[in-house]
Amino acid sequence: MFSKFIINPIFEAITNFSSNNAFCINEQFYSYEQFAQYISKIRTAIQSVHLKNTNISLVVNDDIETYASIFAIWLEGFAYVPLHPQQPVERSLEIISQAEIELVLDSSLKTAFTDISVIETTSLCFESLNLDPKMVSDETLAYILFTSGSTGKPKGVMISRKNAGAFMKSFGETGFQITENDRCLQCFDLTFDVSVQSYLVPLTKGACTYTIPHDQIKYSYVYGLLEDHQLTFGAMAPSMIRYLRPYFDEINIPSMRYSILTAEASPVDLINEWANCIPNAEIFDFYGPTEATIYCTYHKYIRKGNNKQLNGMLSIGKAMPGLKAIIIDDERKSLDVNQKGELCISGDQVTPGYWKNTEKNKESFFEMEIDGIANRFYKTGDSCYFDTDGDIMLAGRLDYQVKIQGYRIELGEIEYHAREFLTGQNAVAVAFNNQMGNTEIALFVEGILNNEPELLVHLNSKMPFYMIPTKIMAGNLFPINTSGKVDRIKLKNQLT
Amino acid sequence: MERTEITNVLTAIFRKILAKDTLILSDNLTANDVENWDSLTHMLLISEIETEFSIKFKLKDLNKMRNVGDMIETIISKL
Repeated sequence: MFSKFIINPIFEAITNFSSNNAFCINEQFYSYEQFAQYISKIRTAIQSVHLKNTNISLVVNDDIETYASIFAIWLEGFAYVPLHPQQPVERSLEIISQAEIELVLDSSLKTAFTDISVIETTSLCFESLNLDPKMVSDETLAYILFTSGSTGKPKGVMISRKNAGAFMKSFGETGFQITENDRCLQCFDLTFDVSVQSYLVPLTKGACTYTIPHDQIKYSYVYGLLEDHQLTFGAMAPSMIRYLRPYFDEINIPSMRYSILTAEASPVDLINEWANCIPNAEIFDFYGPTEATIYCTYHKYIRKGNNKQLNGMLSIGKAMPGLKAIIIDDERKSLDVNQKGELCISGDQVTPGYWKNTEKNKESFFEMEIDGIANRFYKTGDSCYFDTDGDIMLAGRLDYQVKIQGYRIELGEIEYHAREFLTGQNAVAVAFNNQMGNTEIALFVEGILNNEPELLVHLNSKMPFYMIPTKIMAGNLFPINTSGKVDRIKLKNQLT
Repeated sequence: MERTEITNVLTAIFRKILAKDTLILSDNLTANDVENWDSLTHMLLISEIETEFSIKFKLKDLNKMRNVGDMIETIISKL
């Protein structure tokens, strides 16, 4: 799977399109030929180190060495564990310790890691091509991404070579026609898995990947790339598009062929406006937790049409080819149409589990027989239902489902009614515990709010009393986390 | 408005928005050099600068600003 859908296609690109650009990084182009040389020099250096563990940490500076390191690691049959250079060193050390890392690849001018073997990849010199892949099992890991865990310690999601290969196979079958002439955006942190789609899809086709330097302001730099290089394909988070919204009248990117919205729910009103900026593009929403490898369901947006939505958010559509989606209740019973429950996913893209975390693995995966075949499902934690066409409607996170005075409340519904009133201003509802230990709801409004009393009247006219926020906070812009989503934790912290 | 005067006004805005009382602006300063200077605070900086100087940036202007020096030049061109 991994060889067929990832390694071999990239070799073909290196062979057939050697003079094509593979990357545009900080306004500098690197051809496929050069990229192969970077991979080779790093791989040779890795081979000179004796390793017991197959996980290698990579400081993700988003330069050519960083991307080449990923493939050097894969050719050796190892897995990469990204470390963000802007995250606290302490967190990186925690990840290094958990994943039992013995080697760090670092392209920084001065590495922050001292008590561990480090290969400083910028100081290596290319001697000869070294690209023959080591044959390893598809069960071997390709990468481990550490995400914040509820216990305060980061937890690692293991993605096997089979998972990654299955994703590329499935994504290919959804009908995207990417060729060596495409120019593709990679605007996600390498610690977040949409980045993997963003570099793999172009590289397996001989196309060029355009990245964002860490020292640049993301949204304006992305616009610059779209406009100056006439990009044709890109995945973006709705939150980033929202930053561009005040400038939509300046944005016209006719070159854009495919625009993917992902990482969080897609507000239909925002996409309606975004669609005008990219008049020739097909627009898709892709949904997926890291545990099911990047994306697992998708839905095509219909221009000037009626788009299925729930609480103002576009439907996440149907499972991608090769995956199964079911919705279950608290007793793990599969639910019928229009019944809300937890979305669960099975198929080759589902992670073998969390790194050395038996408890979490027990909690998050289960087996269920469907038509005589045993399926292993991952519980996404997302509250969803199937409509009568079998399209999945996303109601929000189960963790955003809170109980107040015994009533079960979807924070997404409160946000929907608030946004409806605010027309274009973003709003996020957060549950918090007051001094008495009771749960209350706070509503954060992005930017200035001149009409709070009217907003409350509106909310009261739409929802029962127990759903009305007891606190309204406005004035600031919303913080965004490293995955490009509104940072609800930071918002919540503003309450204390 | 003189360049130094603009720098002084900018310094005050930067110190306030980024909550850094001792921040010194130089032409080569980029978002990478200052903790907190991210997409969110950048947006706040831009809107404060727009109000203070009574100017309006285009997205094209923002995209060209790679450091504080570029920012000052853009402001001068708008005044």
